[in-house]
Amino acid sequence: MSHSTALLALAVTFVGTYAFRGGLILALAERHLPTSVERALRNVGPAVLAALTVSLAVGGGDDVDLTFAEFAALAAAAGVAWWRKNLVWTLIAGMTTLWIVAAIA
Amino acid sequence: MADTMMGDDSTLLDRQAVVDSIPLIIPAIPFGFVLGLAMTESQMPLWAASLTSPLLFAGAAQLAMVTIAGTASLWAVISAVLVINSRHVMYSAAMAPTFRAQPGWFRWLGPWVLIDQVFALGSLQAARPPESFRRYYVTVGLMFFSFWNVAVPLGMVVGPIVPTGWRLDYAPAVMFAGLTLMAINRVPAAVAAIVGGFASLAAAGLRDRLGIIIGAVAGVVAGAIAEQARAIEPEPTA
Repeated sequence: MSHSTALLALAVTFVGTYAFRGGLILALAERHLPTSVERALRNVGPAVLAALTVSLAVGGGDDVDLTFAEFAALAAAAGVAWWRKNLVWTLIAGMTTLWIVAAIA
Repeated sequence: MADTMMGDDSTLLDRQAVVDSIPLIIPAIPFGFVLGLAMTESQMPLWAASLTSPLLFAGAAQLAMVTIAGTASLWAVISAVLVINSRHVMYSAAMAPTFRAQPGWFRWLGPWVLIDQVFALGSLQAARPPESFRRYYVTVGLMFFSFWNVAVPLGMVVGPIVPTGWRLDYAPAVMFAGLTLMAINRVPAAVAAIVGGFASLAAAGLRDRLGIIIGAVAGVVAGAIAEQARAIEPEPTA
């Protein structure tokens, strides 16, 4: 890849990525959307995070799989997050479960 | 003293934001190292690969870029990055109502660091007063941005030093499972998450993480239908 091609790739992806992240924040700064749309936006977080979690958990493309230990770790993390609302405990519970179940199985 | 970037308790950083960020930064360490190593092996000039960390600030997209650079067409490289990052449009939409109460400089600078982790943590704090939210968001954003711009260059030098046996590669999945549960506070949100998760699973075989977008859109639509059903429910039927 030449220096000029790299610069072009960098510039276009930078502008595009910033536009994705900032576009709607800036466009909607001064105007209000219909109540139904504003209400629907509240569910974007749970929907994207769930979809992202599944993608991270099972992989993507030609390499999709989930071991029992991984499943147990996800369940433990989800349960502890729900119960304690604390991310440090979530990490500890999830990873400890992963190590223990993987060692036993 | 005039409160510009300072919080109402005169501290620049939000303590809870620091505590919340650390368990999300730890899982990102091995990925940062792997990405750094991939940059040194990339056909992309090292200066350009290095600049992806501060400019794109998006791990998966950066990895795709430096991996396929030189072997794929310019258009393929650009489209892979943009497809992977397209989910950020949804973050922008979801955050827009919260950012409305923020000053202009923050509306312009904040989105720069609106990555998965910052969105996940920030959206959980959207109910805070504007100034408190801003301090939380800035703290989380600064922590991730500085961590990433240290971890990736470090990876170029040291390589993947975290033993794979520790399975830290799986920690991001574990953390986002927890964050998803923490984001569910109402029935329509639960519907959105369940449908989003299953749709993402059904589409997991697609390239460039397209399953995330498909799952997210399906989840938001399902959530909107659930909102509608709830809005109709309390009305007398007689």
